[in-house]
Amino acid sequence: MADTLLELAGITKTYPGVVALDNVSLRVMRGEVLGLVGENGAGKSTLMKILGGVTEPTAGVIRIDGREHRALTVSGATRAGIAFVHQELNLFENLDVASNVFIGREKLAFGPLMLVDNATLRARVAPLLTRLGADFAPDTPVETLSIAQRQMVEIAKALSVDARVIIMDEPTSSLTLSETERLLQIVADLKASGVAVIYITHRLGEIMTCADRVVVLRDGRMVGELGREALSHAAMIRLMIGRDLKSLYVPPREAPRAGGCTLTGVVTTAFPDRRIDLSVRHGEILGLAGLVGSGRTSLARTVFGIDRLIGGEIRLDDEVIAIHSPRDAIRQGIYLVPEDRKRAGLVLEMPIRENITLADLLHHARLLLIDRRSEARVARAQSATLSIKAPNIETQAVTLSGGNQQKVVLAKWLSMQPRVVIFDEPTRGIDVGAKTEIYTLMRGLADRGVAILMISSDMEEVIGVSDRIAVMHEGRISGLLEREQFTEYNVLRLAIGQALEPTESAA
Amino acid sequence: MRKFVGPLLAGALVAGLCAGGAAEAQQKKTLVFVTNVAADFWTFARRGIEKAQKEHPDYNMEMIVTTEGTAAAQRRELDDLVARGVAGISVSVDDAAHATEELNKVAAKAVLFTTDSDAPQSKRVAYIGTDNVAAGRQAGQEILKALPNGGKIMLFVGTMDADNARERVQGIREALKGSKVEILDVRTDQADFTKAKSNAEDTLAKYPDISLMSGLWSYDTPEIYDAVKNAGKCGKVKIVGFDEDARTLRGISEGCVQSTIVQQPFEFGYQSMIGLIKVINGDRSWIPADGKIIVPTRVIDKSNVAEFVTYVKTLLHK
Amino acid sequence: MRKELGLFLLLIVVSAITAAINPLFLSGVNLLDMANLIGMFGVFSIGEGFTIITGGIDLSIGSMFALLGVVFVDLLTEYQVAWPLALLAIIAGGLVLGALQAFLITRLKMQPFIVTLCGLLIYRGAARYYTTDSSRGFGYGDEADTLRTLAAGHVYGVPNTFIFLVVLAVVMGVLLHRSVYGRYLYAVGKNEEAARFSGIRSNLVIAGAYVLSGGLAAISTVLLVFYTNSVSPSSFGNFYELYAIAAAVLGGCSLRGGEGSILGIVLGTALLQVLQNLVNILGIPSSLNFAVMGTVILLGVLTDQQLQARRKLAAATAGSARAAAAPALAQRGQQT
Repeated sequence: MADTLLELAGITKTYPGVVALDNVSLRVMRGEVLGLVGENGAGKSTLMKILGGVTEPTAGVIRIDGREHRALTVSGATRAGIAFVHQELNLFENLDVASNVFIGREKLAFGPLMLVDNATLRARVAPLLTRLGADFAPDTPVETLSIAQRQMVEIAKALSVDARVIIMDEPTSSLTLSETERLLQIVADLKASGVAVIYITHRLGEIMTCADRVVVLRDGRMVGELGREALSHAAMIRLMIGRDLKSLYVPPREAPRAGGCTLTGVVTTAFPDRRIDLSVRHGEILGLAGLVGSGRTSLARTVFGIDRLIGGEIRLDDEVIAIHSPRDAIRQGIYLVPEDRKRAGLVLEMPIRENITLADLLHHARLLLIDRRSEARVARAQSATLSIKAPNIETQAVTLSGGNQQKVVLAKWLSMQPRVVIFDEPTRGIDVGAKTEIYTLMRGLADRGVAILMISSDMEEVIGVSDRIAVMHEGRISGLLEREQFTEYNVLRLAIGQALEPTESAA
Repeated sequence: MRKFVGPLLAGALVAGLCAGGAAEAQQKKTLVFVTNVAADFWTFARRGIEKAQKEHPDYNMEMIVTTEGTAAAQRRELDDLVARGVAGISVSVDDAAHATEELNKVAAKAVLFTTDSDAPQSKRVAYIGTDNVAAGRQAGQEILKALPNGGKIMLFVGTMDADNARERVQGIREALKGSKVEILDVRTDQADFTKAKSNAEDTLAKYPDISLMSGLWSYDTPEIYDAVKNAGKCGKVKIVGFDEDARTLRGISEGCVQSTIVQQPFEFGYQSMIGLIKVINGDRSWIPADGKIIVPTRVIDKSNVAEFVTYVKTLLHK
Repeated sequence: MRKELGLFLLLIVVSAITAAINPLFLSGVNLLDMANLIGMFGVFSIGEGFTIITGGIDLSIGSMFALLGVVFVDLLTEYQVAWPLALLAIIAGGLVLGALQAFLITRLKMQPFIVTLCGLLIYRGAARYYTTDSSRGFGYGDEADTLRTLAAGHVYGVPNTFIFLVVLAVVMGVLLHRSVYGRYLYAVGKNEEAARFSGIRSNLVIAGAYVLSGGLAAISTVLLVFYTNSVSPSSFGNFYELYAIAAAVLGGCSLRGGEGSILGIVLGTALLQVLQNLVNILGIPSSLNFAVMGTVILLGVLTDQQLQARRKLAAATAGSARAAAAPALAQRGQQT
């Protein structure tokens, strides 16, 4: 046990009336990847706050290098070699990479002038970037970097303080498949160099790939620890939700009908030289896979009227429709559940009721004055159908969990007459239980005859939920897969622009 | 670099315009009249300048209205004028106590008069304007005439950092010394008309026994007149004012305003220009030792208001 | 409603203290004078509030008063235009200026602060150029007597301006708090992107606020002109946009947008006018006028923020307690 870097013993944290953590003990060894999973609210973030020195535990002991602490401070945690790579990246976009890595710890030159010695900073960042295999220079402005590259900056920042434990909180939620692979490689490299990683994610597949050991939290308690050999999706899910999760896929009640939404030769502003042909039939869920930046979101925005349609036409049930704004799309029954629900899906400070009726307000108004009773009726009905968990319909959306927020976005559209619904990353950052509910809702919609286009970067989701999968690569549709062709391998091949292997589809 | 092209072009344009102006200035000598703040008062001076211009078409005469009525804005304008190379300047000085240095700088380059508001410490050649202490005393006499048995009065003005405001108050105090008239306070309004009127209204509300209100700046008296009239206290609360705002004059005709002390800004404008020309031509004999050429103030009351109104109308509607 | 209640209490406390020191504060004359001023300042403060709720600002209204004011007086005196026409022309003028600013802000995507700051400079300059820096006033005749009675008269002693403000506040209150447009305005102010994704034409909504602000500024111009009876193009309405912003902020509008109420704005205006009045009534030197106002605004906003933070904290602890209680109950259910 000489290799133990960090040990938590009997950590308990109570807030007035709440037990956030209940007697949690865990140990992190040198050069180990520890997976930490649990549904939202299971206590993961409280545990991380304690490790970061932001919150004091109510009871328990933190042991670092054999020395006992009752609580850590922020600077104490940094000194102990604990570093974070956050879910929401904390970088200054207007500064360059080196300045970000050394923010607050700048090397100064010219004595009392206190000028920042940029040359030295850059020289010190360069080897770190090499070690991570980064393809950008220390003086690159962060605003020009992709999310994956920014994450590398965060990791470089952790390495620059000689971190021995790096905590990664949902690191891949915004990454593409290949970028995810790259990150997992970096995790493996860190591990080889003796750094321990605590890896928090909802994506169990990644845990399967990289973790040596998994700790599962539920309701503030440690409900299980799985060694490498005992690791399986089913085992983790069982521990997380306390029961078995059924297989994701539910087939449509009846075969998809013809018609639906057909795109012919559509040209978007993101890829002005590519034409997209795609059709979503009534009653089916069409998965849209591809790397981030392959033009999926841009396609969704174009069909919904946010971005301008440069060329081609959009047909709905064989009728060409003109869409110049989201208003036009909504009038046709084409709805979008956007990728970033906090920014584009909801007005967070408004109550559930007002969010649900926002797109259909004129139907709740007489002489342009709002009829609140009519609003409340619809909001209450939708909350019940979607089982939105909130004290009442006047609760502000900001206080809801990710899954319930997503349900409010859905309720907004379901209260109207959907014909085509586009979901962009529908379950990002949503816990396992709520995910299943969202899938059930999607299937229910499809069975009512709605055409559903689901953009997703989560491989399990794409394969588990879709009836067909279209894959995009650099602005065009690189292939269509029927259910019997669904494999991660096939999706990936198409996503990176290669053709399917004939043997594969034959088999 | 493209970013800088726009401003450069604009700069070149401005430079071109200035060059054009300068070329013109070389042919005719330019005389400039600089006011302290924008007000109707100066329209009379403008007429005086126009009269002088007619008599001396070989000079180029201008009037510049100081933008914000602040010493800083005026200073910038004076600097610009010196840079343009004008021959003579007559200026109503803002914040005279601290403008000496700037004025001396101007006096070194051009013939400098002060008008309306003086700066006696500076090297100005002459001051053409009102003796505000004397005008204040005149107003004090009018107040005594209106309140033979004494009473409480309130004074209203834009700001007390203007010399003419201080001097008028001083004159009024001198005249009232030893009488039974008590000055309650001086209310300021920062030249905000709305505030001037609400100051007057507040005074009527706070002091039901007020006997007279006096407005020291041109817009103060009409606002007082409105407030008193609205309160139905015409005659009960007397008004003595300064300057010749149309409503002040109407108030005198109606008998609601007792009298007003008027300056002769027409003469400021006219005499400034004529005087500047004389000095440029080497004639300083007409200037007294202290440099002060006082244009007397007049009392306008019910007896002469009709005649004065006609005079004002002809000047303003020229 | 908590914010408004707090503001109302502050207004009562300030008034009570003033009245205790000098009972004349509560005299009918003084109250009616104040009501008149509250009426005039309230009208354009409401317009300002609308632009602030969109997350923008309108800095141009003070200069608009000067420009529209001199034109208005000229229309009536110089050109002898019938008053209904002059009134319509001025209101149209305000709406057009507002629409122009709205166009620059929503179509050409310029920042409201910059657009209306330029408006402030341009309108003021235009007013001064147009009048060659002389003031315009109702001189010898009694022009537009009917309109004057409407704008500056009173009913049973209550100033028409105040009655007008009350009516306007009710109409605007319904517009902001009960109508579809009002809901859209809050949604756009809080999260323009989400509003757009819900099919709301956010540009139109924002433009509406600036047009409304221009229109209300025009009406205020008429009220103010009949109050002072003369307009000096260089000083008329100087700083008034700041009074409006102060009233809106005191009344609970957040400069970040999406917050505020009509009642709050009206109470904010009332508080500002009471503060100005008490300086005179208590015999505080006039020079301290602005300092008193600044101090009270600062304290008011600070207190409100502190109270809000405390309330939020309380709500958060209550919320997490609820969240934790639910699974605990479920647990017990399973065990039994």
